[in-house]
Amino acid sequence: MRHGKYPFIIGFLVVPVALYVTFVVAAYVQTFQLAFTDWSGLGPISYVGFENFVTMWNDSLFWRSVQHNLFVLLVLPIITIALALVFAFLLNVGGGHKGGTTRGVWGSKLYRVLFFFPQLLALAIVAVIFGRVYSPDESGLINGLLPSGSEPILFLADGNIALISIVAVLVWQSVGFYVVLFSAGMGSISTEIYEAAAIDGANRVTLFFRITVPLLWQTIQVAWVYLGIAAFDCFALVNIMSVERGGPDGATSVLSLMIYRNAFEFSQAGYASALGVSLFILTLAFAALTLRVTRRDAVEM
Amino acid sequence: MAAVAPVVPIRKRRRRPIDSDTVTVGRSRAGTLFANLAAIGFIVVMAFPVYWVLNTAFKPSNEILRFEPTFIPNSPTFDNFKSAFNAPFFQQDLLNSVIITLGAVAGAIVVGFLAALAIARFQFYGRKAIILVVLGVQMVPLVALLIPLYLMMQGFGRTKELPGVIIVYIVLILPYTVWTLRGFISGIPRELDEAALIDGCTRAQVFWRIILPLTGPGLVATSVYGFIQAWNEFIIINTFNDQAQQNLMAWLLQNQTQRGTFWGPLMAGSILTAIPVVIFFLIIQRNIATGLTAGAVKG
Repeated sequence: MRHGKYPFIIGFLVVPVALYVTFVVAAYVQTFQLAFTDWSGLGPISYVGFENFVTMWNDSLFWRSVQHNLFVLLVLPIITIALALVFAFLLNVGGGHKGGTTRGVWGSKLYRVLFFFPQLLALAIVAVIFGRVYSPDESGLINGLLPSGSEPILFLADGNIALISIVAVLVWQSVGFYVVLFSAGMGSISTEIYEAAAIDGANRVTLFFRITVPLLWQTIQVAWVYLGIAAFDCFALVNIMSVERGGPDGATSVLSLMIYRNAFEFSQAGYASALGVSLFILTLAFAALTLRVTRRDAVEM
Repeated sequence: MAAVAPVVPIRKRRRRPIDSDTVTVGRSRAGTLFANLAAIGFIVVMAFPVYWVLNTAFKPSNEILRFEPTFIPNSPTFDNFKSAFNAPFFQQDLLNSVIITLGAVAGAIVVGFLAALAIARFQFYGRKAIILVVLGVQMVPLVALLIPLYLMMQGFGRTKELPGVIIVYIVLILPYTVWTLRGFISGIPRELDEAALIDGCTRAQVFWRIILPLTGPGLVATSVYGFIQAWNEFIIINTFNDQAQQNLMAWLLQNQTQRGTFWGPLMAGSILTAIPVVIFFLIIQRNIATGLTAGAVKG
């Protein structure tokens, strides 16, 4: 049966490989190449060596953006995964104990559908919604609930909380997906394990930390990588929601936003490409680091 | 911990016959109540903004701007939906969205299924490299690729046209498609292939008659996920194309910046653009968890 294998392999893979080589590999090569030019986006291209990278090194906005990226990278996955784990746990085994089986809280099937809704809404829509939620006057959902006379919270205009306000929206949007992801993982954990632990006297908290989390470790790891990627690429939401795009005064600027603005607004395609290279390296470093750090023997079931 | 004596008689009556021969340890009644309350609180936070969109979309404009918020529209109306639907470029962009999304999903499924077959069923030189590239592409931030992609499309003369965007979207959806379908195909026992080969099937027939039908649920789950991604994308299309060749998300974005305070039509427009995605999701919501884990968990 060995013969005749390669025609299939080549036939099956020629299109995807061609697509990747053209649109991803070649595109990245070009980004690296443009990073060494002072190209504006139009007209002649001339090479300037490492000048863009020197500019970047001395650009305080670049360092702030990297800091913001790292902040999001830390906060977004931790909050999202924690919330998603807890609620997936509640949906699957957190409820009462009936007829010898553990079960989720009341209405968990309905919840499972509802949780996913924010994930379905495009960021364009999410931004519209939260523009309303964060609105600084009394028509805002949160500021409207504050007792009258108190200072309104300027969620997006106060540099101290603007970034975390946007991260909160990201958490709101992504948590449903991970609830479903973790639910699926928990579904494959045999209920007998929970029963055995419960008989041994484990309460919910113990069950959660001693059974659920270790058995889901691989899935958590995947979630962490996905969320990390989302954290590096939180361009869309920052672009739409932040005041003055990245403001106030650079308080919400992230790398991807800098790239976009330099490329398509400031006509600095060369500099944008240099930023792109650094974003690429940071992302890869993150992925490699995550896979290394979280590598831990999965518990066999 | 012994079961706490039930306070409410009606629950006692319901529980007793079931519980009589099972051990109920580790789960306090108060804990159950707390768990349920926590879940309800969480879902309220999650669902409230969505509810608020619905609420606003059905309100007439004078009610939206009223100082005191109302939780149910006093005189519900479809006016906002009408004005969103008749707004400039809405119908054109709706058509564009449908064409682009269907094109991208169909392309990604065909290409992705074949690639997944090759990766799941054959051992060959370079297989690991292909898997790495497929996974790596998912990690790379899209924005860093916008400039070269734009140049490329310009070079092919494909900016301001739908096919260019469709191809880029195929590339965008493909990693997830390949990875998930690979998981599904790996789940089909090889013995089935071998049995069919012994019965005289050619290899192509094995793929067509055995593996393709058995991957059915996987194909559905992946295409819906691809649909959501392609339908909701707006950065690429917004950068590449003019208003006449954009999709609904870009339309929404532009109307948000242009007509900031027209909340009613904007919310109605958001709902209209979200409807297809929600419908597809409800159709496959049972399978989506399977699809996710097939792609994510199996290493």
